[in-house]
Amino acid sequence: MGTPPGLQSDFEVLLSSFQETDSIHFEDFTELWRSMKFGSIFCGKMRNLEKNTFTKEALALAWQYFLPPYTFQIRVGTLYLLYGLYNNQLCQPKQKIRVALKDWDEVLKFQQDLINAQHFDAAYIFRKLRLDKAFHYTAMPKLLSYRMKKSQRTEVTEEFKDPTDRVMKLTTSDVVEEMLNVHDHYQNMKNTISADKSNPDKALNLIKDDFFDTIKNTVLEHQEWHKDRKNPSFNSKDKDGEEKKEGKSQETERCERAESLAKIKSKAFSVVAQASKSRRHRQVKLDSSDSDSASGQGQTKETRKRRNKETSKPKGRKLSSRGNLQNIHKEEKSLRLSMPVITEENESFSETEFMAPKKKRKHRTKSLV
Amino acid sequence: MADGVRAGPTYCGLGDRQDSASSTDGCSFPEYELPELNTRTFYVGAFGDLWRGRLRTVGDLSLSDPPAPRLPGCGGVADLGREDAAVARDLGCSLETAAELRAVCGLDKLKCLEEGEDPEVIPENTDLVTLGVRKRFLEHREETITIDRACRQETFAYEMESHAMGKKPENPADMIKEGELILSINILYPVIFHKHKEHKPYQTMLVLGSQKLTELRDSICCVSDLQIGGEFSNTPDQAPEHISKDLYKSAFFYFEGTFYNDKRYPECRDLSRTIIEWSESHDRGYGKFQTAKMEDFTFNDLHIKLGFPYLYCHQGDCEHVIIITDIRLVHHDDCLDRTLYPLLIKKHWLWTRKCFVCKIYTAR
Repeated sequence: MGTPPGLQSDFEVLLSSFQETDSIHFEDFTELWRSMKFGSIFCGKMRNLEKNTFTKEALALAWQYFLPPYTFQIRVGTLYLLYGLYNNQLCQPKQKIRVALKDWDEVLKFQQDLINAQHFDAAYIFRKLRLDKAFHYTAMPKLLSYRMKKSQRTEVTEEFKDPTDRVMKLTTSDVVEEMLNVHDHYQNMKNTISADKSNPDKALNLIKDDFFDTIKNTVLEHQEWHKDRKNPSFNSKDKDGEEKKEGKSQETERCERAESLAKIKSKAFSVVAQASKSRRHRQVKLDSSDSDSASGQGQTKETRKRRNKETSKPKGRKLSSRGNLQNIHKEEKSLRLSMPVITEENESFSETEFMAPKKKRKHRTKSLV
Repeated sequence: MADGVRAGPTYCGLGDRQDSASSTDGCSFPEYELPELNTRTFYVGAFGDLWRGRLRTVGDLSLSDPPAPRLPGCGGVADLGREDAAVARDLGCSLETAAELRAVCGLDKLKCLEEGEDPEVIPENTDLVTLGVRKRFLEHREETITIDRACRQETFAYEMESHAMGKKPENPADMIKEGELILSINILYPVIFHKHKEHKPYQTMLVLGSQKLTELRDSICCVSDLQIGGEFSNTPDQAPEHISKDLYKSAFFYFEGTFYNDKRYPECRDLSRTIIEWSESHDRGYGKFQTAKMEDFTFNDLHIKLGFPYLYCHQGDCEHVIIITDIRLVHHDDCLDRTLYPLLIKKHWLWTRKCFVCKIYTAR
């Protein structure tokens, strides 16, 4: 069957609203579940075979959100989601959740984390699923039948992921402990070979003695900054705060933006509106080559794109196009004004941007009328 | 369960025994070789051991019926108390918390349909995209007055999938043991390239890990086995004595560089001899092939890749591609009768045709 249409967006709506509640309690999840009437996702005159395949696909899709690199809260939400899907399904006997051997250790670690952090409702639910024998213990998550055709890869939603923290990966507690040991050992070595047994020779002062403390403080500062960065951004998702972009997160955000922009542009420019009969001589043609080709017919998309690039180049900043760009929007800096471009016909797309409410942004009109 | 060391394909037999505790044992831990396509070679028996080792303690492997869900009101207070004590012990919380959890996480909290609401009907004010799509589809059918009934193919497919589910054997000795592995194998029909351009039809069988390769071989039903060879123009109405299945009994499986030949009967020949001689005659770039007897090996003894095409050859030249798609532990809801395995759960069927000779029965 492939992934049923709309299922992924439903899951993501549920999980992102759960993420916004900032809680990991089952009660909050059930409120969302009931308000969305999620249990009715199995309704609608499906016969037995279709029910089976749909349920299998739904459980497999939900399972993907249960494993790293998703955040802890998303994983707890997925656990609740799996519980809900498993118990509300209409198949008899029930379709099971497939767990691969390579993922089982992650799952057990997750369960231990839940118990240690005393999130009893999540741990209870996992225990209940296990007791109800809701799992199939398999070799690989999907059935493999050597299908050579390219299947679509579900992309990991950026907002659900923990940003990769290279600093924390590098300075784990083991590494820190080892560094301390090595440092002590080194100091002792210096002491034993120098004349005065308690103080090392002046000539051997090649490193800062307190470098270890400096590292510790720096790492702690970084953690604090990380935490502070995360929390305000949660609450002001809809406000256009002026956020300071520092360090490597700026890079990731720029890459995210660039990707989303590229995606939106390609989406926008791949659809051509059909001109009416009276204007068919001015029909916009979709040109497959990129922006540098000089195009013939009147106002084609290529010229528009080129004009975009020319206006934006001097600023060195990318224009954000229309569409829902919540995560891009919150990162925008205040100086992104550009000259309004007045084009032929009645096109009035001004590219002036306002920092304040999103709603005031003018939509670019695309069609030729 | 067979040990790691065996005559014939010996990959890292010793390593399996020593590293059974570590989770990154290269030879028994299935992981992707080509992402989403097939895995690396792993040893089936050791894979089973890894899972069983992880699950033994909690009763996940048991095949007995789980306790029936308790109806509210029934079951004494003592039962609930016992349950709460178990919860408190497992989670490390107090008894009151356990009782609270039972109330908070109950299934009634997830109920979205009221009593009496038909699960067939899509609720009106729903935001779910999936339901929107489904509703549009149903409405389109209503508008165009298309009647949506299960066709024969759909009924057949569903029946094949579920006819054996949950079956218990009459003889308790035929019950599958806990922790048994179930492999699901796709056996493609011999490919006719101009006919099978879009997709290649196949049948799917479930086999147990402890079953021998010969049992799978016997259960594969191929039309080339039913052929009748010979000259019958003088006696056209005489019932034929032999079908090809009885006359030509040789067959082999090819898994990971080893040909497993069927040698149960004296007339079985080694069909793989030709291939091995061909590959050894010049430097063809293939490794050394090995041979073994099919009847000596069970599926637990094999080293295989999941999702990788292998071969089954019988009748001298009838070749079927075999792909092992999945291996999992047996579950309480599966068919638990050993005698029914290898179990056919999917068979390709499009149309039946009437035999053009007798005009009475359908052609097989």
